[in-house]
Amino acid sequence: MTSDQTLAALSLPPVLDLQAADPLRAELLSLRGRPLQVDASQVNRLGGLCLQVLMSAKKLWVEDGQSFTLEDPSEVFSEQLSAFGASHFHFEPEGEVS
Amino acid sequence: MDPFESIKQTFFQECDELLTDAEQGLLDMESGTADSETINAVFRAVHSVKGGAGAFGLEDLIRFAHVFETIMDELRSEKMELTNVVAKTLLRAFDVLADHVAAARDGGQVDEARSSGMLDELKALIGAEGMEDEAADPDEDFGFVPVVLDLDEPGGFVSLDLPEPEAGLPVLEIPAEPEVANGVWIIKFAPGADMYAKANEAGLVLRELARLGPTEVTLHDETLPALDLLSAEQAYFSWTIRLTTEGDEASIREVFEFVEDDCKIEISREGGAPVSLETEPAEEISDDDAKARASAEAPLDLDALLARIGAVPTVEAVAEPVPESTPAPAPAPVVLEAIAEPEPVAVVAAPPPVIEEPAQDVAALIARAQTADVPVAPAPAREKAAPAAASNTPQPAAAATIRVDLDRVDRLINAVGELVIQQAMLSQRVTESGLARSSNVALGLEDLELLTREIQDSVMAIRAQPVKSVFQRMPRLVREVADMVGKRVRLVMDGEGTEVDKTVIERLTDPITHMLRNAIDHGLETPDERTAAGKPTEGVVKLRALHRGGRIVIEVQDDGRGINRPRVRGIAIAKGLITEEAILTDEEVDNLIFLPGFSTADSISDISGRGVGMDVVRRSIQGLGGRITISSEPGKGSKFTMSLPLTLAVLDGMVVTAAEQTLVAPLSAIVESLTPRMEDVHYVGGKDAVIRIRDSFVPLIDVGVALGFRDTPIHAASGVAVLVESEAGGKAALLVEAIQGQRQVVIKSLEANYQQIDGVAAATILGDGRVALILDVDALVTAQHRRKPAARSEKRLAG
Repeated sequence: MTSDQTLAALSLPPVLDLQAADPLRAELLSLRGRPLQVDASQVNRLGGLCLQVLMSAKKLWVEDGQSFTLEDPSEVFSEQLSAFGASHFHFEPEGEVS
Repeated sequence: MDPFESIKQTFFQECDELLTDAEQGLLDMESGTADSETINAVFRAVHSVKGGAGAFGLEDLIRFAHVFETIMDELRSEKMELTNVVAKTLLRAFDVLADHVAAARDGGQVDEARSSGMLDELKALIGAEGMEDEAADPDEDFGFVPVVLDLDEPGGFVSLDLPEPEAGLPVLEIPAEPEVANGVWIIKFAPGADMYAKANEAGLVLRELARLGPTEVTLHDETLPALDLLSAEQAYFSWTIRLTTEGDEASIREVFEFVEDDCKIEISREGGAPVSLETEPAEEISDDDAKARASAEAPLDLDALLARIGAVPTVEAVAEPVPESTPAPAPAPVVLEAIAEPEPVAVVAAPPPVIEEPAQDVAALIARAQTADVPVAPAPAREKAAPAAASNTPQPAAAATIRVDLDRVDRLINAVGELVIQQAMLSQRVTESGLARSSNVALGLEDLELLTREIQDSVMAIRAQPVKSVFQRMPRLVREVADMVGKRVRLVMDGEGTEVDKTVIERLTDPITHMLRNAIDHGLETPDERTAAGKPTEGVVKLRALHRGGRIVIEVQDDGRGINRPRVRGIAIAKGLITEEAILTDEEVDNLIFLPGFSTADSISDISGRGVGMDVVRRSIQGLGGRITISSEPGKGSKFTMSLPLTLAVLDGMVVTAAEQTLVAPLSAIVESLTPRMEDVHYVGGKDAVIRIRDSFVPLIDVGVALGFRDTPIHAASGVAVLVESEAGGKAALLVEAIQGQRQVVIKSLEANYQQIDGVAAATILGDGRVALILDVDALVTAQHRRKPAARSEKRLAG
């Protein structure tokens, strides 16, 4: 794994539905190997598939020993995480449930 | 077409049907003939409209339907009494609902003031209590409780550390929750990939569950691989939900209504055995009741529906919620659920019982059976099994329909038309060849002819549709017009099932609308006048359709004041339509109202006097090859009768000969035919011929010349004059050499096959295979005023 340790940033699109899942996966994979900051401030819909992708990505990052942080989650994002029973995905310091 | 669009179209088509059902139910409710099933049916219809609207994000529609549905829910749970006021309000609300559907379909706008006014009225009906749910429910509220975080434990789960409601501790942030002695349910929910693929969302299901009561959601992500091994469209998550609710199992099942085929669901009481299909004893309870009650306790979540937008649904995704299209998995065990049973829900594996319910209910029952099945991918297996027992399953006729592109039907009709012609030609050839009538060829040909006719009739029947689609719009019209003019009107419809060709149906709306408006505005008296005349205050307008003599007859009858003949006569004289001395029969006086420019309304009212009169109605009906008549009895009412051909694909025509050409004049335009006498024929300016028919002169048009078949008119006395009337009311006599007789001909478009020709409406093919032109009477009559046909050479078509 090449790891230039520059922090990568990814801003999640507003709608994370069925159609967004695969592109999101691809995009995340392309950022593998670098610490990643995911900005969830724009999200106004979070679907189960995208949640899988995000959680799975986190898993990979953890395996890779890289940091994976979720920044500035929108209210909706937080709410929907709770709805999925996935509030623990609000890992890392800023992951405060609003 | 964009698949999404086509799904949407299907939705709107189904909306039409749902709305028709709902309206019929509401009308029954208004007339007091409704029973609980009617109310249920209306509820279901509105519910389905709302559900579909959710899939397409039609927010206004959803919002309105939601309130409407809430009322229906109150009614069926008998929390609200069905009074006449309620029924009438619902009917008006229905109109707005229909507007919302139309606006969503056509991209128009709903009258905002009207819609919100209606919403307020509806909410007022329910009272604050009923709408609490909504009030406490801002748009994006998930209704979930914030959770104690369990950080950095990807494989773990979150337990919502909720106090038990029974323990008397408050449940936080759960809107409008029941605080009754609640049951605690453990629901295991494992979506399959298909569920997502059909644009259903696990989050919505969870959210809808949360609406039933406080939930503790545990996410199981043990099978989730790291991203490099993940397939984005595979379903890895599953959930265990601990739900505290006063609802019963049915209400929980309802949440899974749209996804049940594509996920694993297990529902059990806490501490109880899981519900499984084969193990439990049977408990027979009306499914509908269970469903009704379930839905009452778990009104479909508006937000959840909203959130469904955006994901692109596949065909199945949308088709799914539509019960009609559910295949009939006959041998699937039918679940009969106990209502609010403390015991685990009872299930029986047995052949479906005979269900005397509308299609939707059957489908719902079947859908329920599937829910209980808790299969991973059960659908294909069930479908395979279906044919075996299909014959035992009562299938309502409504399910056995398909939607076919109109274009395909038209092609078929066209081909059959050709077949008929070909068959006629063959017959003629055989006759010409001198074969004996008893020869095998001739006999076989007769059989063929019978068969051909049968095929033709059957094909025409495909295009035939019940006039219901037109009639169904009328109750609303009547309500609105009655409101506007302050009259009380009851519309009685009869014969909605009468079938007529689609092309005719499409053009029936305007004349019927106009006649109904006219009947209410001019025909019926005001309630006071009616009381004074000793009639019930509520006027009755009857709209009726029937088949008579190979035509469809539409009658609009009112029990109003009837035609005021002296007044009609006075107006006609004042407007110079008749002379003061004219002696007219009652019938003739009545028919004066069809004259252009005649309007009996003293002031042009908003309703029927939009600058058009009954003459417009008559013209449009004549344009369809129809006739309209009126009969009236003073003080008792009037009846308009219009008679139309069943199809526009064939035409009753008078076959005539002009300049050695065979031509067809539409029978509907012909008034009479006569042999001209020379003393009746005069020439204006020495050349334009007019003929005197009784007391009037009409232009005498030599058809052969008008169409350019020849240059010199024939001698009038050697031909036959056919008096025709154009749609605009202009009359003329067409001079032809001979009349061959009446015949029904198949219309072939000239524009589609050649090009438009002045004076010729269309063409047909005769039995001998020759083309005959169908005269465009209107054009001929008007052309008479303009003059000069084109050069003759171009006009030689037939032959």
